[in-house]
Amino acid sequence: MGASWSSTSTSSRRRNENPNTQNHNHNNSSNTQQQPIYPSYRIQSHPPIPPPSSSSPPPTQPQPQPQQNYMYPANQPYPSHQNPYTVHPPQPYYYQPYAGGYGAFGPGAPLMVRPGYSPYQHQHQHQHQHQHYYGNQGNGWVGMRPFQPVPVQPQLPPPPFVDHQSAKKIRNDVNVLKDSIRVEVDGENSECHVVSFTLDAMVDGSITIFYFAKEGADHMFSPLYPDAHTPVKLQFQKGLGQKILQPSGTGIDLNFFAVDDLSKPSPGEDIFPLVIVAEAWSETSLTEEQDNQRPPTSNAQITQAVLEKNSAGLFQVKVIKQILSVDGVRYELREIYGIGNSDKESFDDNDPGKECVICMSEPKDTAILPCRHMCICSECAKELRLQTNKCPICRQPIEELIGIKVSNSSQ
Amino acid sequence: MANSNLPRRIIKETQRLLSEPAPGISASPSEDNMRYFNVMILGPTQSPYEGGVFKLELFLPEEYPMAAPKVRFLTKIYHPNIDKLGRICLDILKDKWSPALQIRTVLLSIQALLSAPNPDDPLSENIAKHWKTNETEAVETAKEWTRLYASGA
Repeated sequence: MGASWSSTSTSSRRRNENPNTQNHNHNNSSNTQQQPIYPSYRIQSHPPIPPPSSSSPPPTQPQPQPQQNYMYPANQPYPSHQNPYTVHPPQPYYYQPYAGGYGAFGPGAPLMVRPGYSPYQHQHQHQHQHQHYYGNQGNGWVGMRPFQPVPVQPQLPPPPFVDHQSAKKIRNDVNVLKDSIRVEVDGENSECHVVSFTLDAMVDGSITIFYFAKEGADHMFSPLYPDAHTPVKLQFQKGLGQKILQPSGTGIDLNFFAVDDLSKPSPGEDIFPLVIVAEAWSETSLTEEQDNQRPPTSNAQITQAVLEKNSAGLFQVKVIKQILSVDGVRYELREIYGIGNSDKESFDDNDPGKECVICMSEPKDTAILPCRHMCICSECAKELRLQTNKCPICRQPIEELIGIKVSNSSQ
Repeated sequence: MANSNLPRRIIKETQRLLSEPAPGISASPSEDNMRYFNVMILGPTQSPYEGGVFKLELFLPEEYPMAAPKVRFLTKIYHPNIDKLGRICLDILKDKWSPALQIRTVLLSIQALLSAPNPDDPLSENIAKHWKTNETEAVETAKEWTRLYASGA
């Protein structure tokens, strides 16, 4: 298991209005030049996935479902305080969905779906299970943002230059597969619903299921209606593709709530009808673990979801966002379209899905933000920036370019 | 000369066009200039151009794929978005060009334009007017032009 996370970062920055001037800065001091400071992205090679432990609990499936989770995180930690309108990016950037705090979802908040470009979306379904998370944490932005509150700004013109950065990979030890979450009627108590989902865990840990949970200033969740439902905490052992089912009898009577309240997060507040917190336990703390004591989590994944009734009258889970918390820094997980079929080793010169859409020769390795289309190679990215500021796939203005290397070699 | 430093993308596109042609479309590069393509598009079924074989020329400018290919009908055609010189009013050939588009997608778009004339965004003012005031008659004219000029003879 030689997953190492050292990295180098390159950050080149170009002023758009003067394409002849190119500054290539190979260290973080470049951030002192222009006004806003952007995170840099770094990348490492793929971590090998440990085989399912032999001591895994019975629900471990021998063959994990083939699904690849490539996510793109939000680029900054959440503010350490709770006023959602205090901390903002310097520009209405990719981070704009945060503008109302992560409880607010205006129509402009582009969450997981871009239905217009599905070809990329489903291609990575067929690959082996790997977890890639990309985040910032590079060059001071993480530390600086909470101390530089900027008032909310309406839509600004696109910035005059675009960062071209390399992604940094963040390791996620526990992953609740977003599309696997279901609520089903409790077999023993037909009035109550219980939650089930598939979990990938690299280490042991615990799951806590909340209904109508509010996140406190300390990032701890607490139920809004403690009388209606007590949060359910389950422990798990490491293993991929585990099926987790909330124990019978610990469910909630969803019909107690209005469908309207279940189907959307509370506006302006960090309250979601369903919150699943998956915490990875650090190996050392495992022996001291008390069931009722919160483990010192360095790595947790928070899934915030709403519940909708489908046409058959059954509740369906719709994940609004997943947040990865690593060493106190929080990232929103988002997919990158087209990342699943771009690894260099297996690059097939005749496979149109893997090649850069511009030169059609090199494997694509650069994703465009905010639209998250990974469709070009780094050379063409440079070239493209001289010509246009529009994504070749969707024509949205390009605000950032992120180099992402994907390696699927199974070591 | 012009062919010696042909970008790899153009070579690949050409190969794929020849090996897997799109239905109803053929495009082959000129021998003297690999950036110049002779194109034939069959009139789509259930359009006034059905049964017609339309010749076009397509040229990939030096800036391609950062700039759109230049495409023009060589066969006379009665269509509100195509003028008498064969120039085509199609957004992806102008401001909506994207380097992710290809020769194949451009030609498919033109084929689709034949199925769906858009008289609200005309290039030929007269034909568009004809289309809007008396569509049945305009379609008849288009059919007749197809018989007269695009019979493939």
